[in-house]
Amino acid sequence: MAVCIAVIAKENYPLYIRSVPTENELKFHYTVHTSLDVVDEKISAMGKALVDQRELYLGLLYPTEDYKVYGYVTNSKVKFVMVVDSSNTALRDNEIRSMFRKLHNSYTDIMCNPFYNPGDCIHSRAFDNMVTSMMMQVC
Amino acid sequence: MSVPDYMQCAEDHQTLLVVVQPVGIVPEENFFQIYKRISSVNQINVRDSQRVLYIRYRHHYPPENNEWGDFQTHRKVVGLITITDCCSAMDWPQTFEKFHLQKEIYGSTLYDSRLFVFGLQGEIAEQSRTDVAFYPSYDDCETVEKRIEDFIESLFIVLESKRLDRATDKSGDKIPLLCVPFEKKDFVGLDTDSRHYKKRCQGRMRKHVGDLCLQAGMLQDSLVHYHMAVELLRSVNDFLWLGAALEGLCSASVIYHYPGGTGGKAGARRAQGSSLPSEAGNRHRPGALTSNGINADTSAEIGRAKNCLSPEDIIDKYKEAISYYSKYKNAGVIELEACVKAVRVLAIQKRSMEASELLQGAVYINLRQLSEEEKIQRYSILSELYERIGFHRKSAFFKRIAAMQCVAPSIPEPGWRACYKLLLETLPGYSLSLDPKDFSKGTHRGWAAVQMRLLHELVYASRRMGNPALSVRHLSFLLQTMLDFLSDQEKKDVTQSLENYTSKCPGTMELITLPDGLKLPPVPFTKLPIVRSVKLLNLPVSLRPQKMKSLLGQNMSTKSPFIYSPIIAHNRGEERSKKIDFQWVQGDVCEVQLMVYNPMPFELRVENMGLLTAGVEFESLPAALSLPAESGLYPVTLVGVPQTTGQITINGYHTSVFGVFSDCLLDNLPGLKTNGCTVEVIPALPRLQISTSLPRSAHTLQPSSGDEISTNVSVQLYNGETQQLVIKLENIGTEPLEKLEVTAKTLSTKEKLYGDFLSWKLEDTLAQFPLKPGNIATFIVNIKVKLDFSCQENLLQDLDDGISVSGLPLSSPFRQIGKPRVESKPINPPESGKAGDFSHVKTLEAILNFKYSGGPGHVEGYYRDLSLGLHVEVEPSVFFTRVSTLPATSTRQCHLLLDVFNSTEHELTISARNNEDLVLHAGECQRMAIQVDKFNFESFPDSPSEGVQFANAKKLEEERQQAKGLEINSKLDICWKIISFNKCREGEASVEGVLNQLVLEHLQLAPLQWGDTAKLFYLGGDLATKARPKCCLVSLWFLLFYLVILFPYSTCPFNFFCFFCCKPP
Repeated sequence: MAVCIAVIAKENYPLYIRSVPTENELKFHYTVHTSLDVVDEKISAMGKALVDQRELYLGLLYPTEDYKVYGYVTNSKVKFVMVVDSSNTALRDNEIRSMFRKLHNSYTDIMCNPFYNPGDCIHSRAFDNMVTSMMMQVC
Repeated sequence: MSVPDYMQCAEDHQTLLVVVQPVGIVPEENFFQIYKRISSVNQINVRDSQRVLYIRYRHHYPPENNEWGDFQTHRKVVGLITITDCCSAMDWPQTFEKFHLQKEIYGSTLYDSRLFVFGLQGEIAEQSRTDVAFYPSYDDCETVEKRIEDFIESLFIVLESKRLDRATDKSGDKIPLLCVPFEKKDFVGLDTDSRHYKKRCQGRMRKHVGDLCLQAGMLQDSLVHYHMAVELLRSVNDFLWLGAALEGLCSASVIYHYPGGTGGKAGARRAQGSSLPSEAGNRHRPGALTSNGINADTSAEIGRAKNCLSPEDIIDKYKEAISYYSKYKNAGVIELEACVKAVRVLAIQKRSMEASELLQGAVYINLRQLSEEEKIQRYSILSELYERIGFHRKSAFFKRIAAMQCVAPSIPEPGWRACYKLLLETLPGYSLSLDPKDFSKGTHRGWAAVQMRLLHELVYASRRMGNPALSVRHLSFLLQTMLDFLSDQEKKDVTQSLENYTSKCPGTMELITLPDGLKLPPVPFTKLPIVRSVKLLNLPVSLRPQKMKSLLGQNMSTKSPFIYSPIIAHNRGEERSKKIDFQWVQGDVCEVQLMVYNPMPFELRVENMGLLTAGVEFESLPAALSLPAESGLYPVTLVGVPQTTGQITINGYHTSVFGVFSDCLLDNLPGLKTNGCTVEVIPALPRLQISTSLPRSAHTLQPSSGDEISTNVSVQLYNGETQQLVIKLENIGTEPLEKLEVTAKTLSTKEKLYGDFLSWKLEDTLAQFPLKPGNIATFIVNIKVKLDFSCQENLLQDLDDGISVSGLPLSSPFRQIGKPRVESKPINPPESGKAGDFSHVKTLEAILNFKYSGGPGHVEGYYRDLSLGLHVEVEPSVFFTRVSTLPATSTRQCHLLLDVFNSTEHELTISARNNEDLVLHAGECQRMAIQVDKFNFESFPDSPSEGVQFANAKKLEEERQQAKGLEINSKLDICWKIISFNKCREGEASVEGVLNQLVLEHLQLAPLQWGDTAKLFYLGGDLATKARPKCCLVSLWFLLFYLVILFPYSTCPFNFFCFFCCKPP
């Protein structure tokens, strides 16, 4: 159902980005890249207050003609961006939320790996499989 | 209305639109010069009142937009200024005609117009007309500004009159219906008497009056009118105009809230005009004034505050207005402009999210088929707006689209220049800078795919622009910074195209400055190849300069009075890590070793690789290298010659890869290992080359105490032989050789060496000094090998037992013990035999040290050290297997019996003083008897100093024995000669090592003479005084034995004697 999933570091460079129609990968790079503007804006709007109770899910970042872009930010300012086909109306906010939570859990697992250097690109088979499963679920 | 003005902002609603246009042929440059002066008059205080009139100038305005003037009066062209160039009075009527034609275009809406004529002089120019101004030239027109002010005042009068006219319309009068162009046909045949229609007319008129009030500087009034208009229009569902009324309301409120303005430059200009807050306040007070100029009372202030929208309301109302506009397809431009204006307001309010939503919506507003130029404009403005709300990435995205649009295939003449310029502007959005230094810190982290795309586009655009230098620069940058992200195929492609470009325009290290001032720093290829370590190499040992240790003070230069302090030691350690503790020499080739590797999947050709240095004039000798694909670390040595003296710093290296010249500074290289880059260059020293008469040897001496030997020579000599070594000293440097010192060091050897091994006379050589460059001096060294000639135990055993004369009964038990060991040998007879043979060959090694200096280096106290290794293989010549003495006829003489064994494979003659030659065949052993005078060793000092310690006694004894041996040997003068060589070889043989205590005793002149037998019996008393009672005792015994037993025999039975002698009781 997701067509593109990206993990972006605190400093706004991609740690992981994968999209389903691989031939048009660059387009998704652009989409995710521009969505960071919105993510930044949303994060700064939230401000420093209520850091603890802060909602990690950022909601719909912006819709384009064909896709919807959703965002999620962890407490360590690592961002998850998910691009979803807008024709896929079956996908509700709650499902997106749970997908992000799954993504977050998987990311946490990576961080627990003592051989992973925070800030490096993610090359994890487990994470890959998880992303694949999320992309394959419906479509 | 078809052409959107993307630059619009809310404040534009209060401006009067004046079009400035050229008529006839006016040079563009001159036109804009005047236009600029005109547009500087953009706000004016009218008639001493505090109302301010704002003017918006345009030099181009589509007339169809003018038709929407009733809808929003700021779209109406109210003034026209034409500029014309008229040289002669003849052209005047024609020019004037054109002016009128021009007026007609905007005729319906113009309040007033002006014609500026340049260049015309004479009577026509004399006439004074209000609508025409004459100026002699473009430079001579001081009154332009004044004229414009007058013109604006006249505009104001018309505006004011219109406003008053409309504002005072009685509700009973018939109000005309204002409408937009596309509405006109809809109202045909509508019932004009209906209440609905009337209300609509009223509402629209109210809105119009509001516009006029706003333009006339009466903010408060306009707000009131807009509010009324909104109410009226809402009731009749006249959505288009309702939207306009709402927008008017918003504009007025924005003007009130944000006196600084919302639109970029215009805002700045306005803010400049109102630098003082009080002024700003004043400027907006006029809204509360009536047209009579009577000061407002406080109620007006309260009223304005009520009528004015709050910042949040402004946005709500804007959104509402936009939603109404969107109901009309033909009002797309209005909607788009409203969006733009709202976004600008939101940007000021820092509500980026809402702004981005609005913009997102604006992207989808479908206008009629846009021309390419309009598309570019639209994308550019979107980009600018995104930039304004802080969405840099989105801004970059749209700017890039605009750039692509500039060169869309549908455009007949692609604007590569514009495309390139726009692309450059997108760089910050993609967090790319064109400075490679920003990428040198650690691994690159960014949107590589996107950045690479952009760089590719830059390369392509610059190529199409016809600027290959730029393409090369960008492509180099791409290759340098994105290397880690390029696939193998891409690497190949990129380098291929880079080579193509550089074949036309090689890449340089110069800063490229673009016309708009952007500077493109040079891109050195620090990754092609990657340098991992830089190591300055010391000169080869023979060329290494040494400092003469002249003064004690030099070592004591450290300031501390302590010999050792841990703190200082620590500091020194740090210093040492930075500073290199060797020197380079001016004029000598110096080397720097780099460890490099090639990250490319193909062979990398690096040309013209050399060193970059500072501090000393340095002649770098560039190298070319070819690194195999994905090579591991690969050592490369770069060389150069320092031409002057002082501190030299290796800053980096330069390369030429794929036709791009790079200067790579070491400071910018990440992860570089270096042992320091600064080294001292000392003045030039001469260079000495040594060649010898002896063959070079492959045998290298084991280095001891850090000595390294440049040349080794070897020679094979027989024991006792002497050979001359002729050394040719050639000065191959450029400085004269002034000083030479020769020392020799014999490497520690187990062999006992008799006599001087090496001897020379330096004076002969020094006479040839100073040695000019290219000259040769000779130096002669005598090699004399004189090892032990005594027969060693192992040799004795290996010799035929038959020869051995040691078959003594007493020794047989030892032999019995020894036998099994000996007999075990035949198990491997050939090897053991050989091994025994080889052990006879002994080696002697020595190092000849030449310390030399000259030229300026000598003045500075430096010298060079050249070592010559000498390897001498000493083959045994003769052995003395047995030595004994026989008394001669005279008691003052005796016979020294020597068993000589020829261990060579040649026939050998041996001779001694006063003796005939003895010929020995290979492996033969013969006895020779030499008659010698007995020695009087008493001449030697018994003990050199009486006070010597007892511990030295043994050593002293040895020395004494050595001295005795030397003396005996000098008397004997035993020589051997081998003739079987084509050259006769000869040498001495020494008995020094052979003589044992007993023989020495025999050779010693007895304290008593044989003939004096009577004295024999008095011997006892004499003996008691002697230091060596044991010897005397032996002598006594021998004497008795001789007298009693052996006297009857005429000759001595050797065996008996020997037994007696060797094993004294």
